Amino acid sequence: MSLVDLSRYQLRHVGTLEDLCELVHEHTAPGAAGAVLLAGGTDFFPELSQRSWTDALLPMVFDVSRLEALGGVSWDGQRLRIGAVTTYAQLQRDPLVTEHAPLLQRMARDVGGPSIQARGTLGGNIATASPAADGVATLSALQATVELQSVRGSRRVAIGELQTGYKQSLRQADEVIVAVEITPFVSEPFWYWRKIGARAAQAISKVAVAAAAERSQGRVTRFGLALASVAPVTAQMRATRQLVLGAELATLDGSALDAAVASDVSPIDDLRSTRAYRLRCCKALVRELLRQLGSPV
Amino acid sequence: MKIELQVNGEEHELELPPMVRLLDVLRGKLGLTGTKEGCGEGECGSCVVLLDGEPVNACLVAIGQCDGRAVLTVEGLGSSAELSSLQSCLAEHGGAQCGACTPGILLVAEALLRRERAPSDEQIRQAISGNLCRCTGYERIVRSVQEAAKLRSDDSAGEGAAQ
Repeated sequence: MSLVDLSRYQLRHVGTLEDLCELVHEHTAPGAAGAVLLAGGTDFFPELSQRSWTDALLPMVFDVSRLEALGGVSWDGQRLRIGAVTTYAQLQRDPLVTEHAPLLQRMARDVGGPSIQARGTLGGNIATASPAADGVATLSALQATVELQSVRGSRRVAIGELQTGYKQSLRQADEVIVAVEITPFVSEPFWYWRKIGARAAQAISKVAVAAAAERSQGRVTRFGLALASVAPVTAQMRATRQLVLGAELATLDGSALDAAVASDVSPIDDLRSTRAYRLRCCKALVRELLRQLGSPV
Repeated sequence: MKIELQVNGEEHELELPPMVRLLDVLRGKLGLTGTKEGCGEGECGSCVVLLDGEPVNACLVAIGQCDGRAVLTVEGLGSSAELSSLQSCLAEHGGAQCGACTPGILLVAEALLRRERAPSDEQIRQAISGNLCRCTGYERIVRSVQEAAKLRSDDSAGEGAAQ
């Protein structure tokens, strides 16, 4: 598959989410050529050369970038709802995101550069299920829920449970990512974001750390933590979260923390970094965020 | 697929396969070769144009997603005979050297200057952060954009705003 072949693809615009679900279901049925939901194209176009589609099996492309049902940011008094085709640029300037999920807004500044941020979407970041996805790590730290819809109806899945393996997900081929929902962190709220890359902009993470917490009387009462690029899936950091949640911050043990972090990640050597450097970053950054939280680790 | 596209203020009605890249339509069908292809995967920023005023990598946009929208390319900023103040500043202050990144740099800077009359160095660096330049070390680009901002606020007639 190359750029020359682009002229052979069909692109369809669909008016409603219901129509989209019907059509995607039809095109992903056994024997059909498949469906691509195209939003910002920031993954689709670069990955074209790796596709193995043959002439007979060219998938139908659906343009979802301007589908109203997948857009918009809203607040119902308890939860922030962000439509799947919300771009990183929109996340940066939306006042509701500023107020209820500042971590998400901060992360959005570090994805590619402005011309990527204008096109890339949160839903696309979830759909590609890359372990390097900054958006997925951040949504995991915020303990977000993903709303999926198909002809069988709507269901909600915790973002931390969505990825099942390297670029694998619980999402069925005919399920459309509609929105994410976030219950804000309110009691003595805290957030942390740090991305380690080859340069500040336009770099895929060597390691990225996202965290959100609520505190009360020297203890962490709600804790979200997730790391990108250190495991085959977004690392959900269960042992580390268990160690920190409810513990007295003043007496938290640094070496126990390091051990928990090490047990939660499985970094590899690849073209962007090494296992050793990534592991060192994981431990150092989790310690840094805990010091910012008020622990002397 | 029939696509209505405004390019540099001029309306076009095009009949094109919908998944062809905006970049190829600009350079091929419309003959606007000022927009350059660098990496072809959204890493370098050479092909940046403004789509409804926002900088996008034209290598990552399907033409079928552009129906009813407005594009500004480097040709829409000024001509060889009459450069915009931003273009002149890049030429005068060494912000353009080999020129490969220049069309993209001009458009992200144009988008910034339309939003911010007097941007800080940090805002300029943020605006150009998706554009790779291997000649200038970026310092001269930042200075050129600062000079252009000064000229534009001196002459608030809105020169260079073709759209």
